[in-house]
Amino acid sequence: MNLSKKIVLADDNSILAKLLQFKLEKEGYQLLIATNGKEAVNLIEDNRPDMILTDIMMPFISGLEVISHVRNKLEMKTPIVVFSAAGQEEMVLSAFNLGATDFMSKPFSPNELIIRIKRLLQ
Amino acid sequence: MLELLQNSVEALNNSHPIIQFCAYLSLLFIVIIITLLVYLKNLRDRLRIKGRIEATYKKKYESELIEYLYADDDKDSRLQQQKIVDYFKKNAENRLKRKLIIATFLKLKNEISGETSDAIQNLYYQTGLINSATSKLKSKKWDAVARAIRELTLFEIKEAHDEIILLINHPKKEVRNEIQKYLVKLFRFDGLKFLDILENPLSEWDQIQLLEILNKFNNLEVPDMNNWMRSNNTSVLSFTLKLARIYNQFGVSDEIIALFNHPNVDIRIEAINVVTHLGIHEAVAILKEDYFTRSLEEQIAFFKMMEEMAMPDDIPFIREHIEHDNFFIRISVMKTLNLITVDDDNTFKVNTTATDFTIDKDFTIAS
Repeated sequence: MNLSKKIVLADDNSILAKLLQFKLEKEGYQLLIATNGKEAVNLIEDNRPDMILTDIMMPFISGLEVISHVRNKLEMKTPIVVFSAAGQEEMVLSAFNLGATDFMSKPFSPNELIIRIKRLLQ
Repeated sequence: MLELLQNSVEALNNSHPIIQFCAYLSLLFIVIIITLLVYLKNLRDRLRIKGRIEATYKKKYESELIEYLYADDDKDSRLQQQKIVDYFKKNAENRLKRKLIIATFLKLKNEISGETSDAIQNLYYQTGLINSATSKLKSKKWDAVARAIRELTLFEIKEAHDEIILLINHPKKEVRNEIQKYLVKLFRFDGLKFLDILENPLSEWDQIQLLEILNKFNNLEVPDMNNWMRSNNTSVLSFTLKLARIYNQFGVSDEIIALFNHPNVDIRIEAINVVTHLGIHEAVAILKEDYFTRSLEEQIAFFKMMEEMAMPDDIPFIREHIEHDNFFIRISVMKTLNLITVDDDNTFKVNTTATDFTIDKDFTIAS
């Protein structure tokens, strides 16, 4: 059932992306990886995912701009989980104002992320 | 062609010495420029090759690390995991590869927590990278020592504590700074025991960094600060006073009061400020007793304290200073009197003998 569920991950940390891909594919999700905000926007427009995971700080287009694009231009109600680092509290608030669904502070537990994804995709 | 060259050399030999000198100088510059161009091209090629090698190995190490982390719990998988450990161990013998392996481990460790993070730390032990870092602690190069301590901090290697603490009075401040961060990040308040043996100054920046690290931890039991309050190191005293203030350490109030007689005026002022913050009322009488022997800065700090802690009994003493030469003291006196004599109608009276301040018209025009 989960096989049809597509998740777009936007994060410039290649090894974290690989780790999450391994974990999520094991759980039956299909993960599409973008290494910057521009790629993320293209992937979202082309694939219409069921969920978006995005880091805030990314090259070219930030996570905040990705959220804004999804909510305002594409008018999608897809759940968006934001990854933030310490000291980005203001940005997390901005992300929520733009329409983010949830956030996780780095460093985070991959297992906790899986639980949140499952809950949001129920 | 050869004839042209011969003619040119001949013409140069017959020319004026200044022209000859300029020609040789130009020739020299051309040779230098060509040599530099060849060197830069070579350097660029080498950097590109190095970059390509790094990218290839980085990719390989990332895949190996993910495979190690998510191997199943059967015999085959355990064998595969051991193979990966051996692969990393072999690669770690090379300096560049070791650097890449550590960077790969940290790149993931900094982003995740929980059992995956612990598994990376475990791999750090298994691959023997810990031995390479601890052996660098004995290096004569200070930058190698500082890097090793930073690496041990990032991988949270508590076992290196005994070796690292021996370097706490290292002549290089960069090394000392890394040691302090290692101790506080890994051992929290217990790590501050280095203050007992620190001989060098703890800079303001170091103090801010340590307080910021401690600020991230909640519900910590603050250690006994009595020893640090008696330290001969002024910077340790300054830092301890900051700790006492931030963590509201009423238990060390006697030690703070004792610092009113410290030889360093900055410490005495800081002690008065901390006493004000903590609201230790017995300090007022002590400071009042030898008020006139104190420096102006201390007197200002004392009156700042009185703004918060003055009692009706102190009014006569405070009133004596209402016409003090120092502006800050006069302001503090007025604020204090205003606060504690709020019901007294005669506290302030209009001074009818005061000079009439009129605007100097010429001055206004000129300006």
